[in-house]
Formats: sequence, structure tokens, C-alpha cells
Amino acid sequence: MDCQEYISEYLAAHADNELTAQERRAAEDHLAGCPACRAQLAEERALKALVRQHVGIVKTPADVRRSIRAALAEVSERGFLAWNRRDSFGAIASPRQAAEPLDKRLARLNRPWMWASVAASMLVLVVLIAGLDMFSRRASRGILVPAFDNAIGKFARFERDFEPNVPPDAFSDRNGILYAWVVDRDSLTQLSDKVDDVARAYREADMPADIYHFEQSGYGLAGGRLERLSDGRAVTYTLYQGYQGNILSICYRDARMAAPVGAAYAAGVHSFYDYMGYSICLTFYPTGHFVSILISRQPLQQLVWAVTLAETAIAQK
Amino acid sequence: MAAKHGRGDNKRFLFEQVALPHLDAVYTAALRLSRNPDDAKDLLQETILRAYRFFDQFTKGTNCRAWLLTILYNSFRNGYRRAMREQPATSTEDFEQRLEAQSLIADAAHTDPEQMLSGRMLGHQLETALDTLPPEFREALLLVDVQELNYREAAGVLDIPVGTVKSRVSRGRALMREALKRLAQAQGKTGT
Repeated sequence: MDCQEYISEYLAAHADNELTAQERRAAEDHLAGCPACRAQLAEERALKALVRQHVGIVKTPADVRRSIRAALAEVSERGFLAWNRRDSFGAIASPRQAAEPLDKRLARLNRPWMWASVAASMLVLVVLIAGLDMFSRRASRGILVPAFDNAIGKFARFERDFEPNVPPDAFSDRNGILYAWVVDRDSLTQLSDKVDDVARAYREADMPADIYHFEQSGYGLAGGRLERLSDGRAVTYTLYQGYQGNILSICYRDARMAAPVGAAYAAGVHSFYDYMGYSICLTFYPTGHFVSILISRQPLQQLVWAVTLAETAIAQK
Repeated sequence: MAAKHGRGDNKRFLFEQVALPHLDAVYTAALRLSRNPDDAKDLLQETILRAYRFFDQFTKGTNCRAWLLTILYNSFRNGYRRAMREQPATSTEDFEQRLEAQSLIADAAHTDPEQMLSGRMLGHQLETALDTLPPEFREALLLVDVQELNYREAAGVLDIPVGTVKSRVSRGRALMREALKRLAQAQGKTGT
């Protein structure tokens, strides 16, 4: 090892104790005969210590600390979405949810199709993921898809502020107070009531009632919105939240839309795109000319993984 | 294997024990990313509440600070940064220009030799030098040197390979040394 190699390849990692045992031995062998590099290492460590000492950790202001604790207490008692709308929300779970025992809710999840479908999906997944890296290299660079651009705009908006509006009976304005139906539950119980309620609301609006079960991939259903496009067509927005980010599902009727060229991967009704820094899954429904666009900021492989693992109504058919 | 925590009060108690000791660290990072106390407060609040909601996915025994910072950076990438279109320096050419500007400012502000020797002045110089770094190098340095994450944890937060963290830390420190030297020269002290 010469000085140039030590400084460019080893110095910083040496100062940070990030060398492997073998690398450390090689580095120390070099330092034993090189005073200049020993001085460089001492300087590197001194700079590291100076940055730590003088830049340091800032103390959280007391008012910020208080508001964080207050928000945590509110979320703990009322639920996550209730906190998001804390200025206007009353409380809490619907009477049906409160009355139904937990074991009954869980029993409703134990559907044979769910696990059979997951097992089948896993087989597809292995093949799909294995090929995806290769395909994603020739992803959709250069093409412009207005529907995807709109999806990006909606995603940006709803990441900052998503206010569910379905089902209407569970999310209504009473004397100026909005009553939330979502309570803070663990990921498994989130599968039950919320999914059913949102799906029912979509179905009643003659929209596909498919709610992805992304829980296995670390995402929970945040809620749904039912809106109308400027030409009157209904559109649903379903937001899933995970600690690594969000997935937004947008679904509407479009008889003329075809899969744009440049898909990184296509499998059955799904086409996956790496588009403008976003990962997109375009799905064509077998009936009704409905299309859905799933969009996230996570790498495309993660979206493929999530979609493949998720239980959808499509998989039930 | 993700740790499963209890619900309600138990979950909150555990969260407060495990996660809230890192509040200052997360606030520091939020302040650095947003560069604005109001935005930092919002970003911190969103991060902590998101972490609480998904606390059952935190792997017991791993570095909770790194987990919280991962959530913070994701929140920032997903929402706040796009809302804040104005970006700091992104290339080494920008670094040169910013460094030049900062050197001129430092030169103009140089009035008290005693203050220059004080720790306060050194802290100011370090802050200035850090601010001139392209953000990818600054973020890597802050996570490793200030937040005391190892390379693997920093790679997780930044969503980049470990080798990239290693090279960014190395390059970042080299740029820091260069910036400090130039700032010292601008103030009539070369340090050599």
C-alpha cells in the first residue's frame, strides 16, 4: 500500500473505525513506516472531533418538545388521522368497530383465498424480481405520460395533506365537528374495518372496491377519497402509509388509455414504470375500462414486491 | 424480527423510553435539512408521529436514532424538499463559488483577532465550511460525525450503498479541510 492508496481508500474509514480487521492490519502496516500518513490520520481524527464538538446536537426548544408530547398523547388516545385533523376532529371509533371483539375481526381476515393467493404470488415474485433489474435499466426514460404527471401532482399534494372523505357516514360534519372513524390500531387489525368501510363506499359509487393489503410490505391503509374529475368522471384516491414512505392509488374509468411504451416490467394486468424519479404501477381492470395508477417514491423493486404480495380484489376473482 | 410492542399506554410508554431520547438528534437533523425552525418543527412532528404509528416495525436492538433519521429523511425527500424548490450547492463547482463568497464575507467580518482564536470563532468557521459543501457530502458527514451513525446506518438513512457513504465521508472531509484552510487564509491566518 502506498500513501495515495491509504489516503484515498483507507483514511476516512480508519478514522471512523470502519475498516475490516484485514484492512486495519494493512493500514497499520503502512502507518508503521509512514509518519506523513500517521499525521494525516491524526488530522482526520481531529477534524472529526472538532465537527462533533462545535457543530453538535441542538436542543429541542421546550415549546416544540411540549407540542410533540401533546401530539403523541392525542394520537395515543384518539388515533393517527384524528391527530392530522386535530383542530377540527371530535373522536373516535364508530360504534360498530368499538362493539366488535378483536378476535372476531381477526377471524374475518383468515380467509383461505388470502393465503392461497399470497403463496401463488410468491412464485411469481421470485421470477419477477429476478428479472426486474435487467428490465429496469431500459426503463421509461424520455417518454411523457400526462396521466403519470397528474399522478405525481396528486401524490405530492396528498403526501402533505390527505383528508379521507369516505365512507361519508363515518366521516361527517356534525355541528362543525368532524368525527373520525379511524383509531390507532396495529397493522393486523387495520386490515379489517377500515378496508371494508372504504371498499363499501367505493362500491356504492360504482367504483372498483379493491383495497391493496400492503401490510406485509410495511404499509397501512390511511384512508380513501372519492372525487370527480373536471369532466364528471368519478375518481378514487387511496393512500397507504409506511414508515419508509407512502403509496397512493388513483383509480378512474378511461376506455382510451393504453399502456405507455417503456415499461420496466409487465405482468398480466400490471405494468411497472420508473418515471421521473417515481415508481408507478399501471393496472388495467378486466372489466369496466377502469385503470388504476399506484405511485410511490420507493424503488421500483419495492413497489413490485408490495403489489405482488398485496391481496387485491383482482386476485380474488 | 420486528419487535412487537403493546398497544395504547404500553406502546406510548415504550416509545417514549426508546425513541424520545433521540428527539434532540432528530430535531438537529430536521433543522439542518429544512434550514428553518418552523419547517423543522413540522418535519420533526411528522417524523415522530409516523415513527409512533409504525413503532411495531422498529427492530428491537437496532439503533433507534438511525431508524428515526431514516423516517425523517424519507419525509423530507417525499414532501418537504419538493415544496422547497430552492436548493443549496449541488456540485463541486458550486462549492468553489460558495466558498469564494464565504471567504469574502469572512474577510470583511474579520475585525477581532482574539475572537478568531476563540472556540466560538472556530465553531463559526466549521459551520461556514460545512455550509459550503455540496449537500450529499454534508449529509454524509453530519450523519457520521455529528449523529454518530456507522456507515451502514448512514447508508440506510440516505438510501445509498455503504461504499458511497464511505467515499462521500472521505471526500467531504477533504473538502472541509480545503474550506477551512481557505477561510483561514481569508482571515489572514493560514494555520500552517
